[in-house]
Amino acid sequence: MFSRKMVLIVGFIVLIAVNIIGLSVTSRRSTSFGIERIALSAIAPFQELVTRSLRFTRNIWRTYFYLVTIARVNQVLLQDLSQAVQNKNQWHETELANMRLRDLIDFQRNISERVVAAEVIGKDPSAWFKTVIIDKGEADGLTRGLPVVIAQGIAGQVIEVSNHYSKVMLIVDSNSAVDSLVQRTRARGVIKGESTDQCRLDYVLRKNDVRIGDTIVSSGLDGVYPKGLRIGFVSQVIEHNADIFHEVIVTPFVDFEKLEEVLVILEVQKHDWANRP
Amino acid sequence: MSYFFNISACLFLVILQTTVMPYIPLLDKFYDLLIPFIVYLGLSRPVRESLPFVLFLGFIMDNLSGGPFGLYLTTYFWLYLGVIGITMFIQVGNRLMIITVVIASGVLFENLVLLGSFAILKTRPQFAGNAVEIVAGQVLWALLTGSLFLLFFRNTHRRISLGFKRNPARAREQG
Repeated sequence: MFSRKMVLIVGFIVLIAVNIIGLSVTSRRSTSFGIERIALSAIAPFQELVTRSLRFTRNIWRTYFYLVTIARVNQVLLQDLSQAVQNKNQWHETELANMRLRDLIDFQRNISERVVAAEVIGKDPSAWFKTVIIDKGEADGLTRGLPVVIAQGIAGQVIEVSNHYSKVMLIVDSNSAVDSLVQRTRARGVIKGESTDQCRLDYVLRKNDVRIGDTIVSSGLDGVYPKGLRIGFVSQVIEHNADIFHEVIVTPFVDFEKLEEVLVILEVQKHDWANRP
Repeated sequence: MSYFFNISACLFLVILQTTVMPYIPLLDKFYDLLIPFIVYLGLSRPVRESLPFVLFLGFIMDNLSGGPFGLYLTTYFWLYLGVIGITMFIQVGNRLMIITVVIASGVLFENLVLLGSFAILKTRPQFAGNAVEIVAGQVLWALLTGSLFLLFFRNTHRRISLGFKRNPARAREQG
């Protein structure tokens, strides 16, 4: 009665209609038929397994394998940081050197003599002698006996000269002696090294007033150091009943442990007693 | 090769104790590191090879130090002769105890020579209060570390010598 083609078309239309109706009905209903639950229960564990596996893999990748890249980045950053710290340290050193050199230049302006700046490059190998090696020598105009100073005070004198280097005996060396004055009372004495951090002021008569804290300056009478350069301060005065001199301990203003740059005075104005009018 | 090692070691030790060690608080009064080296030369090297170095070291140190010229030369020379003398009577070899005592005695000897020179030349009216402390500290350091330095010199020299000997042998094998 109906052709096969006709049946197929009608069936197709009915199917579409049933589908539309079904959709419209299910879209209005909130309750499920339970199939979803079964499906959910059956599929979810696998989903979970796969998802967790994926996450686990992803985590492994991110936290371990990816760390290779991070480690490289970290290494680069560490290198940068190290460089930055090094630069900062270098700048700090430059800043400190700048401050010290400024002090030296200020000091240089205050003294009338011609000076040469030098850097300390080595110390005495023995604990018994206090000398340093500086990087200026004969080629720079240095000769034996020239005084060496820094802004804080007298450091020592040149005792040996080579072409480009010199050896400086510090005032704390036991062989050193500087003719000096107590600045406040003008009492005269001789500063001698002790091979420690301190010096002694010898030959100060007991009739002269010397107190703790007094500043000691060079007298200029030894023909080595210009007059009026600071040496140190009196840190101890010991009185002996049977002695005609004070026993005076002097702490130098110069910190010899931190001596880095010095000035060598090239032309010391000496007293010309012979041609004095 | 031995000359190369000796010159390098001398320069290294001299530079180390004049530029680095004075600025390290605990080591600023460390004993003279050339003493273990001289003891090593006396114990392990032939006289014709080591004696020039002993004199050279004394000369260098006298030039660098503020003391009267010849102090270190004297000290090192007599110390070296002392070590040679000891080896005639005692078989030192690798006996650490004897090596340690020899080095500590060397340090004490050097300090006594320096202090003796102060007394003879009267450059120092009275010894600094910490003289005993300095000498005792140096001897103690020498007792603790002296033999280590000597063994270090000996092993380094041996390794360098072996390295130098192997290389020509390898070159011959490959050639």
